[in-house]
Amino acid sequence: MNDRDMNELEVRRVVKAYGSGAPVLDGLDFAVPGGALAAVLGPSGCGKTTLLRVIAGFLKADAGTVTVAGRLLGGPGVHLPPERRRIGIVPQEGALFPHLSVARNVAFGLSDLDRSARRVRVGEMLDLVGLPGYGDRMPHELSGGQQQRVALARALAPRPHLVLLDEPFSALDSGLRGAVRAEVRAALRESGATGLLVTHDQQEALSTADVVAVLRDGRVAQCATPEELYHRPVDPWLASFVGDAVLVPGTADKDVATTVLGRIPLAAAPAGRREGLVLLRPEQLRLAEPEAADAEGVVTDVRFFGHDALVTVTVVGLDEPVDIRTTTPLRVEQGQTVGVRLTGEATLHPRTA
Amino acid sequence: MRRPLARTLTALTAAVLLTPLLAACGSDEPADLVIYSGRNENLVKPLIEKLEKHLGANVEVRYGDSAELSAQLLEEGDKTEAGLFLSQDAGALGALSKEQRLAPLPRATLDKVDAAYRGSAGDWAGVSGRVRVLGYNPDQVPTPPNSVHELVKPEWKGKIGFVPTNASFQAFVTGMRVLEGDDATRTWLKGLKANEPKAYENNLKVLEAVDKGEVSLGLINHYYWYEQAAEKGADKLKAKVHYLPKGDPGGLVNVAGVGILKGADKKQAAFAQKAVDYFLSAEAQTYFAQETKEYPLAAGVKTAEGVPPLETLQPPKIDLGRLASLKETLALLQDVGLV
Amino acid sequence: MTAPERSAPARRDPRPAGAQAPAGRGRAVGRPSLILIAPAVLAAALAVLPLGYLGVRALEHGPAFAWDVIADSRTGELLLRSLGLTAVVVAACLLIGISLAWLTVRTALPGARAWSVLVTLPLAVPSYVTAFTWLSAVPSLAGFTGSATALTLASFPYVYLPVAAALRGTDPGHEEVARSLGHGPLRTFLRVTLPQLRPAAAGGGLLVALYVLSDFGAVSLMRYDTFTRGIYTSYRASFDRTPAAALSAVLVVMTVLLVAAETRTRGRGGYARTGTGTARRAVPAALGRLKPLALAWCGAVVALAVGFPLATLGYWLAAGTSATWDPATLTTTALTTLGVAAAGAALTALLALPVGVIAARHRGGLAHLLEQAAYAGHAVPGITVALALVFFAVRYARPLYQETPLLICAYAVLFLPVAVAATRAAVLQAPPVLDDVARSLGRTPLGVLREVTLPLAAPGVAAGAALTFVVCMKELPATLLLRPTGMDTLATRLWTETGTGSFAAAAPYAAALILLAAVPSYLLGRHRT
Repeated sequence: MNDRDMNELEVRRVVKAYGSGAPVLDGLDFAVPGGALAAVLGPSGCGKTTLLRVIAGFLKADAGTVTVAGRLLGGPGVHLPPERRRIGIVPQEGALFPHLSVARNVAFGLSDLDRSARRVRVGEMLDLVGLPGYGDRMPHELSGGQQQRVALARALAPRPHLVLLDEPFSALDSGLRGAVRAEVRAALRESGATGLLVTHDQQEALSTADVVAVLRDGRVAQCATPEELYHRPVDPWLASFVGDAVLVPGTADKDVATTVLGRIPLAAAPAGRREGLVLLRPEQLRLAEPEAADAEGVVTDVRFFGHDALVTVTVVGLDEPVDIRTTTPLRVEQGQTVGVRLTGEATLHPRTA
Repeated sequence: MRRPLARTLTALTAAVLLTPLLAACGSDEPADLVIYSGRNENLVKPLIEKLEKHLGANVEVRYGDSAELSAQLLEEGDKTEAGLFLSQDAGALGALSKEQRLAPLPRATLDKVDAAYRGSAGDWAGVSGRVRVLGYNPDQVPTPPNSVHELVKPEWKGKIGFVPTNASFQAFVTGMRVLEGDDATRTWLKGLKANEPKAYENNLKVLEAVDKGEVSLGLINHYYWYEQAAEKGADKLKAKVHYLPKGDPGGLVNVAGVGILKGADKKQAAFAQKAVDYFLSAEAQTYFAQETKEYPLAAGVKTAEGVPPLETLQPPKIDLGRLASLKETLALLQDVGLV
Repeated sequence: MTAPERSAPARRDPRPAGAQAPAGRGRAVGRPSLILIAPAVLAAALAVLPLGYLGVRALEHGPAFAWDVIADSRTGELLLRSLGLTAVVVAACLLIGISLAWLTVRTALPGARAWSVLVTLPLAVPSYVTAFTWLSAVPSLAGFTGSATALTLASFPYVYLPVAAALRGTDPGHEEVARSLGHGPLRTFLRVTLPQLRPAAAGGGLLVALYVLSDFGAVSLMRYDTFTRGIYTSYRASFDRTPAAALSAVLVVMTVLLVAAETRTRGRGGYARTGTGTARRAVPAALGRLKPLALAWCGAVVALAVGFPLATLGYWLAAGTSATWDPATLTTTALTTLGVAAAGAALTALLALPVGVIAARHRGGLAHLLEQAAYAGHAVPGITVALALVFFAVRYARPLYQETPLLICAYAVLFLPVAVAATRAAVLQAPPVLDDVARSLGRTPLGVLREVTLPLAAPGVAAGAALTFVVCMKELPATLLLRPTGMDTLATRLWTETGTGSFAAAAPYAAALILLAAVPSYLLGRHRT
């Protein structure tokens, strides 16, 4: 599809404050390539929902611009009302219109089409979300996951340039969540629409989105692919926010860092920095026989998750114990002396960050 | 549960659409004369029908409370649709007269009524009178007292029935204030209160209570007794009425009257004038005498059978216009704690 | 275990704590649209018409005269008496309304469904009929006790209805948590349930308070002197409109204060559930040994408020052999009553719609002002509102004067708050997020209103209309002055017949009024059960 490249969301220097308080969005910048599913991730109160409402047009930004598919929707002197933005939204818990059937919910945004075209489009959309034949049901007759999928079908039906998903999975049972997430992602892909998922759940962001923007204090702290964000976070806060982090002091020599746990290549050049905190992920630490390892420690705690486990090891020469993710079945127990080895690449950060 | 209410809403809307039809049923031809009547529809409707025949005109009547209608007429001013005001009491007519809302009546009309029963400005005339009387149970009271002043004696403790909220009772108290002064009236009311009189909702209930012997005496208007006597037969009625002699304030005569409103067009004013003359005619006066057992005030019409003629009574002499000072009466009643 | 999860999304509020968000989540952008404001302003303007009239009349003889009336010691005394009566009636209505709502909604009361309908039926009985029947049975009730009794029995459904609705809407999860923390049912009710019912109870209490302040029929029959009776006395005793207007102005001030007090109890919380599914039904609390007591309580209230007046009317009907009444007149009168009451309810509901929507969906000065305006004239006695409409209609709308449309307008002015309260509550129940979704799907704010908000609020709006319908049917003072000449409603007929003391003749009209008003009351009782 050609318009894939056109469907691009661009948010530039957006500022939004409520009343005279500190701005909630403080010069926020980011962009989503056409057809991609991006996630906006951030802790409570970081401005995620405000950003979503500014993009959708429910709030007017104090400054900055919002452009979708090359069309300026909001900016100095411009504020298109929500109904003219062609942006679909999928709110928490779906928010289906309780007084309308599934078919009429999906057809709600199709008032431009004639009757038969509308029926065809509703059928297509219900097929897309895997609910063919559900048109006559009422929303309260559907499960939470089904409601969520109908909400997506409703948002996609008028072929919007962009679909905003506001924590759409948070109300679902954890067992159901993964499956619905996958279905929604597949349906979005198939429709070719650009998606923006707002969430506070890093697992969800990393596993669902093509691009993840982490919001902090009204700005984008980092916008990157899930993998890059996980492995090359720009600072330790981000590292801890998107996953478990192990931070150990180290020194850099060219693109290799040296720590108490051993030497490890750096993913990015240290830019002249000679020493600081080396960021590792628990799965980069491997348990080994003490004699074959670079460092040695004592197991002080074991947390078992089923598919893997976190082993806490107090290492000689480190103030803090480190976590090591290891596959199961476990071969260690508390109090045992173990060796530690490093794999993969690390990043180096200043101590004060 | 949504559907029945949606249906209700539809039904409501349908009803709205029907309203004009309903309203249309009410009045199809324009009225030649509009009367505002403070007198109850049940009492005067037959008379109004006779009036229509007499005038050969379409008469419309708006019934209401006399005082409220007079307030309405004052608000309407010269834009009123009404040609005639038929009031239950002199006070409401006096209020309109004071604001110069009533047109002067011709001498010939006024002269049909005794000067005591018409407006001093010559702009309203009484059409029927009612007399305050004592209803009594002869089994308990062989000889009823001749003055309300006796009612404060201890012998009547718990034996008197009255209607403190009734306009006629209040007019009587006003009359006493006019005749004997506020202080004397206050003393009398305090004495009455000390005698623990029984309060009823209306005169009819008082009469019933007297009849049953619940109370020995009742302060009522005369016609209640005669109406009951006509309905049930005088011999079946234990209670009797006693007219108070010698200008006793308890024997006050109050009137219902009519006035023509200023602002009516000539055609209506002419009908209104004819209507006033009709109300003072033998036919209408007979109606009041026979049907409502009131006192006819004009045309030499006799009272109903058994009702003593007005000339034989000795009511207190009082300017009915002064009965409008009801406000002070109410304040007095409230102070004493009777209402 | 579901309760904490349930409440979690609600706490994830995007607004920084304490920030006054003029257009936060779920609020439309900026000011309400002009299409909504214009009719709302029109409704508010109609509602404040009586105030304009009061101003003209009260100041007719100069401000000094008006002040003398207001500053009179008797005025203060009457006001205190009115406020005392209001306080007692509101307290009694809260006690009866909340206890009945809890018993019928949240407990295993035998026949709960039937009771929930029965306890709304007192709405159908005009307070003057209640007062009249009580007075004729127990004359010694006259005075404060009788007034308070009659007004309480006639108006507690104003509290019962919103509180029962709120009880059905609140999440039983909170109560379950409280029970699990060792609170007994009563303590749970007092500490967890009751605080959640506060806005609904306060709204109902406000309507009761305004009703008591403006009532004339019951207090006049019961011979208890109140402020409103003072106003009527001013018309009837001194034929003077100026003191009446000055006193009415005091009532307006009282109303504004009461409405402001009620607004405070609403707090900043919303009522709309975040979820779109239906709330889980609570497991009805077992009454145990209290069951006979609970049944006796419900039975006593229904017997006193409905059974007793009906029995009295039945007695009069049976005893009144001498009275003649004409079935044709009764039918015509009943139809007329239904017609004007339905039209009044429809117009009132229509005018209340924009005001209620703005009050529910927007905050700030304008929304507050519009809502206040709708209430302003509500405590002013019917006679004063009627005279105000007389004043304006003869001057500026002569063709409408003493025609059905003006009477309908009077009903709208008198009962706008009843419908506004219902509309506002109904719109609050529709989650605002649905508005957002509809906007994103191409609807203008007006389209959202038409296709989403109103269909969802329709049951509540209809309930408000039904309630208005009932109160219009019972209305007397304004109907007397403003009806087309020659037209009769059941209430005016009742007034005529009792005016000549013919209770037997009045009884059919009273019975017809109660029976007809019982139909919408019945629907209200079934609403959301």
